[in-house]
Amino acid sequence: MSEAPLLLVQDLKKTFVAHRGWPIPKRTEVRALDGVSFEVGRGEVLGVVGESGCGKSTVARVALRLQPSDGGSVTFDGADVHMASRREMRAMRRRMQMIFQDPASSLDGRQRIIDALGEPLRVHGIARGAAVRPAVERLLDEVGLPRTALDRYPHEFSGGQRQRIGIARALSLSPDLIFADEPVSALDVSVQAQILMLLERLRRDRGLAFVFISHDLGVVRHFCDRVVVMYLGRVVESGPTAQVFAEPLHPYTRLLKESSPEPDPTRTITMNFQEGEPPSPVSPPTGCHFHPRCRLATERCRTERPALRDLSPGRTVSCHLA
Amino acid sequence: MTDADIALRVEGLNTQIHVGSDWHDVVRDVSFSIRPRETLALVGESGCGKSMTALSVMGLLPPKVARIGAGRIVVDGIDLVAADEATRENMRGDRLGMIFQEPMTSLNPVLPIGFQVGEALMRHRGLSRRQARQKARELLELVRVPAAAERLDAYPHQFSGGMRQRVMIALALACSPKVLIADEPTTALDVTIQAQVLALIADLQEKEGLAVLLITHNLGVVASVADRVIVMYGGDVVESAPVGAFFARPTHPYSEALLAAMPRVDSDGGLEPIPGQVPTLTAMPKGCRFATRCALRTDACAELPPLAPVGGDPEHVARCWVRRDS
Repeated sequence: MSEAPLLLVQDLKKTFVAHRGWPIPKRTEVRALDGVSFEVGRGEVLGVVGESGCGKSTVARVALRLQPSDGGSVTFDGADVHMASRREMRAMRRRMQMIFQDPASSLDGRQRIIDALGEPLRVHGIARGAAVRPAVERLLDEVGLPRTALDRYPHEFSGGQRQRIGIARALSLSPDLIFADEPVSALDVSVQAQILMLLERLRRDRGLAFVFISHDLGVVRHFCDRVVVMYLGRVVESGPTAQVFAEPLHPYTRLLKESSPEPDPTRTITMNFQEGEPPSPVSPPTGCHFHPRCRLATERCRTERPALRDLSPGRTVSCHLA
Repeated sequence: MTDADIALRVEGLNTQIHVGSDWHDVVRDVSFSIRPRETLALVGESGCGKSMTALSVMGLLPPKVARIGAGRIVVDGIDLVAADEATRENMRGDRLGMIFQEPMTSLNPVLPIGFQVGEALMRHRGLSRRQARQKARELLELVRVPAAAERLDAYPHQFSGGMRQRVMIALALACSPKVLIADEPTTALDVTIQAQVLALIADLQEKEGLAVLLITHNLGVVASVADRVIVMYGGDVVESAPVGAFFARPTHPYSEALLAAMPRVDSDGGLEPIPGQVPTLTAMPKGCRFATRCALRTDACAELPPLAPVGGDPEHVARCWVRRDS
């Protein structure tokens, strides 16, 4: 990439500390992010995939500085997000927005849609007084909701419509980058497709960049240019989406792909009994985090952490054997 | 097919729920039967009636707001609809086992796992506490919970999501039921864990000769584990077919649209969303309930089409005026 990326995440670390147990509380550390790096270009859609506890949601929260980091850096359009002053942060937040999985819980149940969508406009001084209403109406048009929605409350809408409201709110400040955390996983397939088409259109029309967090490989394959695969707080593989899913390099990516069911009875998923539970981020295995579940693991995998290295143009993998 | 080959037979099931001052049909004229070792998948989106069908079969409909209006549900020669509550209770957990989407909400958080798994055996088989504990350990081993003996005294919150679902399966299978009803059993799980749990169910099904009624919205899961598929929309069965025939020739416009709306890992094909949304219960169209969203709609659709064979295959039926064999 010749020009500087819009978002650059370098060696990002985040550790959560909990004191649990009785009568003597034990200190437990959860390394949610253990040196995560990636970049997102202007107008690019980056997918982040992985299973529960891999740190994919934490990446979004720390990158947006909703939570402090414990190391590493996040650079947005040349400026360091975690070093920014309050004023700089406010200007930056306007350009980085977020969409959540469950819009019902991120909308205030007692706030009408006009207020929910008008508030950011007022706060950032984009529109005030009589100008708010037409601005909000334009947003509703853009996400395909009727203008009559303005004076209604969140509970009057279906899940898909509520997600449209969440998207309209993220768009209200004309951001350059949107973090979307599992935006379609709570929706039925037919509605999910509607929302994906909407995001696709917005991306084209507005030149938006996305960090699209999902556990659904099909959705990521459809929507994302590049993908980052995470496992227990680390990036294990990244590259152009079609290439990564057609030819996964990391054994974990392969396992994810083989476990994702396809609507085709001739291509059934690999169902194998793996004994025991997958390791938790509380006490991750030594060496390569994936080695206890890996069929190819060698002695080196048990002791030495594999570095994320470039394998071919645009493709990186963190595996001793790839 | 004689009754002896059938583990569960549902005939003309009609289930209603109370909205406002009226009863509305949420399941209309649903019929199917499942043989031992067979998996029947009920597929559809929220509100299509698939879970209400499962709850009707289990006799777990919430009283006062839901009721079975008509139909027969036959297990072991006993019609559960006509039977009294005592009979139904004896069948539930004994002949019929059920697992749910979120095991955490169906397990009791303050009782140890071993007791919960063994409870059905004390209730239905008259086992003593000690015998039940022994059997519970065997069951946990059967569902491959590691270190089963030590975990008998553990509580649900000490288990991961996948392990909790295994415990639920052990609980459902405690009395060796003939029929297992699985309502979105893997929806809350990660894909690799989903694959483990589906493999476990398939394995136990083979060993125990279970008939499985699988409720799911995921057509990928259907393709992987089901023998036959029933697609529901707005409470109606719109298509029913062996799994191979269904994916080779999805015939009802809704089945077709559902497949076209699903993003796939193995291809870049474009998505085609289904326009609009499912009509609310009180505003269901008179005839074909999919008509309001259907591109093939004709005047005939104002009247409900019957389930008729398609593609000359008597096993493959669909409820559509336009697509039926003429």
